[in-house]
Amino acid sequence: MNSHEISYAQLLETNNLIQNCGDETYWLCVTRTVQGSKLFPVSPYILLSYLNSFYRYPSLLRKIEGQMRAEDIADRARNMGMKIQNSALGWALPNFYLLGRELLLSLGFLRPQDALEDVVCVMDFWKRYMLSWHRNDAHITNREYGHRAQILPDRRLEVFHSDMFQCEPGDALHEAACTFLATASQYGFLVSCESRISLTNSGPYRLDERHEMIVRDFMDLAECSLPWLDGVAQDVPYNYLTVPMAARDCHFSLVDDWGSFESRPEFTADHVVGVGLYTSDALSEGFVPVGMGSREELSGTFQSLNAVLKEATNKLWLRIADWTRDQMIDAGALVYYNIIKDLAHVAGVFEVDDWLTIDPRAQRFRPLLNDEFSNECLGALVGSLSLPNHCQSPYTMMQHSDRPTRTYTLLPYAVLAAEEYVPTSGPIQPGTSHLAPKIDRYRTSAGVLTLEEYNRQARANRPRLCSDKYRFLCETWVKYNHNTALANELYELEQRHSRTLGGKGAKFSPRSA
Amino acid sequence: MTQLYVDSDRYGEPPVNLLVETVRNAVTDLVRRKLTQSGGSWSEFVFAASDQLITTQDFEAIERQILSSGYRFAWSAVISARERPEIYREGGAMAANLASFSFEHPEAVVAVADDAGREQRGVGDNVVRRQENVSGVARYVRSSEQVIEYMNRGVPPNTIAIIDDSGGTLTAPILEHFTGIVCAGGTVRSHLGILAREYGIACLMGAKISGIRDGDRIELETSAEAKTAEAYQRGEEMPARIWKLAR
Repeated sequence: MNSHEISYAQLLETNNLIQNCGDETYWLCVTRTVQGSKLFPVSPYILLSYLNSFYRYPSLLRKIEGQMRAEDIADRARNMGMKIQNSALGWALPNFYLLGRELLLSLGFLRPQDALEDVVCVMDFWKRYMLSWHRNDAHITNREYGHRAQILPDRRLEVFHSDMFQCEPGDALHEAACTFLATASQYGFLVSCESRISLTNSGPYRLDERHEMIVRDFMDLAECSLPWLDGVAQDVPYNYLTVPMAARDCHFSLVDDWGSFESRPEFTADHVVGVGLYTSDALSEGFVPVGMGSREELSGTFQSLNAVLKEATNKLWLRIADWTRDQMIDAGALVYYNIIKDLAHVAGVFEVDDWLTIDPRAQRFRPLLNDEFSNECLGALVGSLSLPNHCQSPYTMMQHSDRPTRTYTLLPYAVLAAEEYVPTSGPIQPGTSHLAPKIDRYRTSAGVLTLEEYNRQARANRPRLCSDKYRFLCETWVKYNHNTALANELYELEQRHSRTLGGKGAKFSPRSA
Repeated sequence: MTQLYVDSDRYGEPPVNLLVETVRNAVTDLVRRKLTQSGGSWSEFVFAASDQLITTQDFEAIERQILSSGYRFAWSAVISARERPEIYREGGAMAANLASFSFEHPEAVVAVADDAGREQRGVGDNVVRRQENVSGVARYVRSSEQVIEYMNRGVPPNTIAIIDDSGGTLTAPILEHFTGIVCAGGTVRSHLGILAREYGIACLMGAKISGIRDGDRIELETSAEAKTAEAYQRGEEMPARIWKLAR
């Protein structure tokens, strides 16, 4: 059954990536969150999403790479705020897949060597994507960087910093911005069926001795590839919004691979002293300012967006309150599983059947997914690590716990000797959903499009910053070539929408002005 | 009996949880039977024959087998118990009369009334430290019907919501109108804690309380230190007190 040679080096590297994912997943799950919901059957949908991810991600990643390489998509991600950051790519892509694999291993459905080429494919895609997306800080994950995410290049940070409007607690902009941040966060939890995957934060970036900047992204806000937003989010004018936010006397000590942050002292709205607002997507030329013409315009824009999102929240909540359990589970499982769907949007290969249905191989497990089994099984899978496949030699001392356990089963090197394996779980199978069908309407920066048109325009779009001329003009190159015409061109391109830096190029530095 | 690859596990211990172990045993038995039935090798079975041979009906049979022992599942989402009350325990608990209902945590720290007439009825983890304590009227919020009622009639002023849902969705349409929140679950990093911080609402998470009824006036010690990540990691308590006030 072995289709082609997997090398020792590939297995060594894949197992290293798996182990790193396992160590961080344990830490994130044990220390970073305790969730419960009376509204959504969260654990049942999470388990179903893991199974769907296991059976489908390898095929879908191969399909995406048939159009666009992982590292090329990540170049785009570094220059905009779509849902291909954290937690989608930094954590969910490999870990949803690996958690599905581990669940099936625990139930006797797999051997460690089964789907071996799929495992190598998923981890290799993830590694190349993360190295490219994180190329400015040169780490694979935030974990590697001591839980920090310095994704953006100097030229973009200059624009965010320089164009940001200052605000103080009690003034109109501060009130409007902080209210918007709360409302958008709450809407995000609802859109994502009680998960945090519509929100992310990156940074921090040092502004001066007392100020740090966090970049906050809000994603899947409008009518998009989540069918439950059809109609209720029709008036939401942007699908992705990015808020660069300056905080005073507040050090962001941790930004993890889930996109959550922690700070000393505890972050509250009182620390916010500067904000901006941008949108971007697969069809835009990077970040485009929203309401950034003046303080008053920005304040009014935040107020207007706040009202629109509140209205959408109420409508969506009433829709969800009327759902059946199967609908709630499908929505939750799909929003989890399709957390990486924006890869397909950027590549222009998004298809509803790929991303908005449950594969029958996952679907059949549904009768097991009562609340109690799902809660206990999920706890065993990511917290207590108390399934047989987690148990290791008694000499083992796992990172963080010192117990003889391992989150993920490594690929066996014995496949390089005589051990037989099955390379792949095979192509995706036609799936189903209990939800209303997706209406063919997608809010983009180029207007409301059909999926066919969205895919066509995405395939045709290549932002100039990602063109061959500019994409490799990295931070090292800029450091030594900032006085060249080419560097000036690069900076002017980034500054084309900037209120304060437009046309100033690389020769001017707002930090020394 | 056909052996599965994972049956030969040098280090594996059975799952700690009995239900997980029961389900696992039933599913691995199912896989063994179907592998035997297929008559082929594991390689022919794992991603080919098993897709056809192991079906939804097989998993339904496992659920029936567990229920036939008299076992009933604990529920966590209201919809689960509402749709299939026959398979869940305590299916009617959400319908309890809120006027006489109270959370009763066995580890709630209580004390007699102090000089100011404040009777301690529990503790929680403070999300954000404030200059002052916060007081208001306790109101349990436990179902979507209550949320709809508050959406229609408005949240009464000075409401301190008592919630056992650490998520951010059940109370989404009304959350910003609360003066305070006491959540009987979760941590300061749960979604409800995150939203309370964003909205600037006083909030104690992971609360262990007793004897607080709907309509009681209560005070939250929001002037206490906010619980830190390090404290959670070390398993240290950083309690903020919750008092019932004299009427």
